[in-house]
Parts: sequence; C-alpha cells; structure tokens
Amino acid sequence: MSKVAMLYDASKCTACRGCQVACKQWNDLPGITTSNRGSYENPADLTPATYTRIRFREVEEGGQVKWLFLNWGCLHCTEAACVKVCPTGALKHHPMGFVSFERDLCNGCGYCTQFCPFHIPRTETDVLTGKGKSSKCTMCQDRITNGELPACVKTCPPKALDYGDFDAMVAKGQARVEALKARGFPNANLWGDKFLGGLGRLYVLTEAPEKYGLPTKPSYPWVASIWQDWVQPLAEASFVVGILGTALAWLIVRRNIRMEEVE
Amino acid sequence: MTVRLRKTGSAIQIRWIPRYTFLERALHWGHTVTFLPLAMTGLVLFVPQFAPLARGEAGQFLRLIHRICAVFFGLVPILYALLEPHRLLATIRELGWSKDDLLWVKNAIPYYIFGKHVAMPPQRRWNTGEKLNVWIMVAGTITFGITGVVMWFGRGIVPTWLFQAAVIVHDLTMIVTVNMFIVHFFLAVVHPLMWQSLVSMRFGVVSESYAREHHAAWFYGEKRAKELYAQRLAQEQAKAQGGAGEK
Repeated sequence: MSKVAMLYDASKCTACRGCQVACKQWNDLPGITTSNRGSYENPADLTPATYTRIRFREVEEGGQVKWLFLNWGCLHCTEAACVKVCPTGALKHHPMGFVSFERDLCNGCGYCTQFCPFHIPRTETDVLTGKGKSSKCTMCQDRITNGELPACVKTCPPKALDYGDFDAMVAKGQARVEALKARGFPNANLWGDKFLGGLGRLYVLTEAPEKYGLPTKPSYPWVASIWQDWVQPLAEASFVVGILGTALAWLIVRRNIRMEEVE
Repeated sequence: MTVRLRKTGSAIQIRWIPRYTFLERALHWGHTVTFLPLAMTGLVLFVPQFAPLARGEAGQFLRLIHRICAVFFGLVPILYALLEPHRLLATIRELGWSKDDLLWVKNAIPYYIFGKHVAMPPQRRWNTGEKLNVWIMVAGTITFGITGVVMWFGRGIVPTWLFQAAVIVHDLTMIVTVNMFIVHFFLAVVHPLMWQSLVSMRFGVVSESYAREHHAAWFYGEKRAKELYAQRLAQEQAKAQGGAGEK
C-alpha cells in the first residue's frame, strides 16, 4: 500500500472543533475540565486524552486582528524520531506511512515525548513509580486500515481536512496554494511535504509557517541517531570485547600461574 | 589475628590482617546488590534485542525495580559517609595517585595475565587497579545520580536538550561502569592470584603473605617497602644480566 497523508487546509477551517469532538468520540477519550484563558482555544494543550485540537493564533495586521487556525496533533513523520527511540516497539512506522501506536506495549518511559521535534506525544506517569502510558494521534489506525476515513476527516464540516494518498494530497495542496495566491493570499504555502521524509499531516497555510508558530524547517533530533546508531552498538560491542577479553585472559592466566606459588 | 586451621592442627598458622571494616564491606556489597539489578533492568530498555521484556506491564515493573534500586544505590554511599566519615577521609587520601601507579599499570599485564613474577611497585591498602575501580565507581555513581534525577523528575520540566543529554550520558556511564564491573569481577573473583580479595571483602581480612606481596607499602610502611622493592629490582637485574651472559 502506498503512503497516506491527511491534508489540512487552514483557509477552509472555521475552527468549529468538530475534529476534536469526533476524535474524542471515536477514540473513547474522556473530556477534561478546562478554564477560560481569554481565548477561544480550548483545551490549552494536547494531553494524554486529547489527540488533536485547533490552535488559535491572533495576529494583528494593519490594525486588524486576524485569526489563524491550525489543526494540531501527531504529524506522522516518515523519519520519526519517536519510533527510533521507543524501546518497546509500541510506536511503529506503519507500511501505510503513519506512526502507529500500540498502547498495550507502551511502558511509559516517555522517551518519545522528549525526542519528538514537535513535542506531540504525551506521557502521564506517576511521579514516584513511573507507572503510566504515552498517547498520541494514531491517524485512527483502526479506521484507516479498514478503509475508513480518520474520524476528524470524516466529520469536518467545511472539508478543511482531507485524507488520501500522500502524492495526491501534495498535488491537491499545491493546487490549492496556487489558487489561494491568485485570490489575494500571496504568502500561501504548503507545509510538511519537504522535510522529515514528508509528513503524514500536510498543511495548506495562508501565511508564513512562523506566523502559525510552526518551524520553517524542522529537523530530525540528531541526538536520537547518535544514541541509537552509535552509543547502542558501541555498548554491545564493548560488552562482547569485555567478556571475550576476560575469558581469553582467564585461559592464558590458567596456563601461566601455578597455584602452589600463589601467596 | 592468628587463626589455627582446624584439620592441619599446628602445622599451618596464618596471620590475618584486618583490611576492610564491616561498614566498608557493607558499602561494597550494598552497591553490588543494587548495581547488578540496575544494570540488568536498564539494559532491557537499552538493548533492542530485549525489547519483548520491556513491553507493557513487564516494562513498567522493571522500571519500578530500576527506581527502587537506584534510591538504595545512591543511599548506600551517603549512609557510609555519615557513619564512618573519618575513615572515609583517610581512605580518600589513600586513594591518591602517584607516579608509581603508571609503572604498576605497565607491569600489571605480564604480572596478572602472563604470570611473570616481576617486582611490582609497592602498594598501600589499595593497589592501582583497585583505586581505578573505586574512582570510576564514584564518578559513575555521581553521574548516574545526576542524569537519573533529570530523567526521573525532569520530563516536561527541563528543556528537551537537557533530557536528551542526560539519556546519552547515563548510557555512556553505563558502558564504562558495566565494563569496569566485568574487569573487576575477573580480577577479584576469577583470577587465581587474587583469590584473597574475595575473602577480604567477605571477612575483612587478608593473610600476612598476601599483604606482603600485594600491599607492601601498607604492610611494611612506605620506607621499608621501597628498600625491599629496590633490592628486588637489583636482584632481577642481576639475574637478567647473568642469564644474558650464559647465552
């Protein structure tokens, strides 16, 4: 199966937050108590029980307030650092191109939260015992592997969310960017197709990514590569050398030392 | 302390010299019984081949064991320092380096591996290898402690670069200390020349002959030990020249 992706069109989004509700409903996630922070944005952040949310950015331009909406959740990187550092295999790169999550395998170590370049996965653990689990958007792995749309895409009233083949979504996004440019959005751009192997959540933006609080060119956390590709094999090699070395030394010692002379 | 061996009657008398106090041995074994489970549970998360053991409930259990052992791993040295502060300070002074240590390292391979009975620079209560082991373990315990606290309590509080650095440093420290443990196990438990090191860590004493051979500066005092060492070197030199002359 070829790689899939979601496409979010910020120019169509009305911030109705239907995606948030559908996500909670399908994934059977509890609601959480929130408070008024002087913004329509709610909840304030992703949580272990909130896989997706709409970010509200208020930007002032020429004395006018402009609202920038952004659908936020796991971006399903093709080069996913969370998959690299996950010691249990709970996070995997699915052949369909999204980052799947198997809750039963997770032991709550929380490495994924510290290596994700977008700070998406959330782990809630007991401070003392460390008991707990991570969680994040799975692109509705149980729906899409059965030929259904992700819940958020299915529910989106203005059709700001779309889902399909990665290449098709990129082509659609690019076409939309051109259309937007022609209709008075000179800064329109497509975000997510050119880095980290191509994201599984692509964005059509009306303004520059920084205005949405997005990095222009996010990079893979190199520490994850050093850790898994260098330190880890170095450790195994050193143990083999250490054990074989002492075993060999023991064989030589046995030949050379006469116990009668030992004091 | 003179101990009469039961079966051999009066034939053999061994003079046992106290080397480690009860608390020193408690520190050593307290660190051993926490270090080993720490290494094993840590490696389950670290080595990909052990991934099946790290999963789900089992993984959470291992992480809990790791944390419990970590607390005692840190607590044991602190308790020791509180209970025997004066002896600890004296030990730290004994653990200082001198230029003889380099020579000891140079001679250690022919001596310990090839069984050549070469003269070794006189050692005090700790020989160079033991000193090295102690210092690496002390540095390792401190590094494990700092990085471990960052990983235990710091997630979501400290910046991610600091957490990532803590993970890497924790693992590098593990590589050094686990390999040190392998070498330490070999020399202290497996190696035939050093069979008394295990005895001394169990009962706190070494025999007079062992102390004379391996810890001359401690047994005779620095001055006498140096004299004996010089004599021994002269003998070895004469022997080497004599041997060369015959050929």
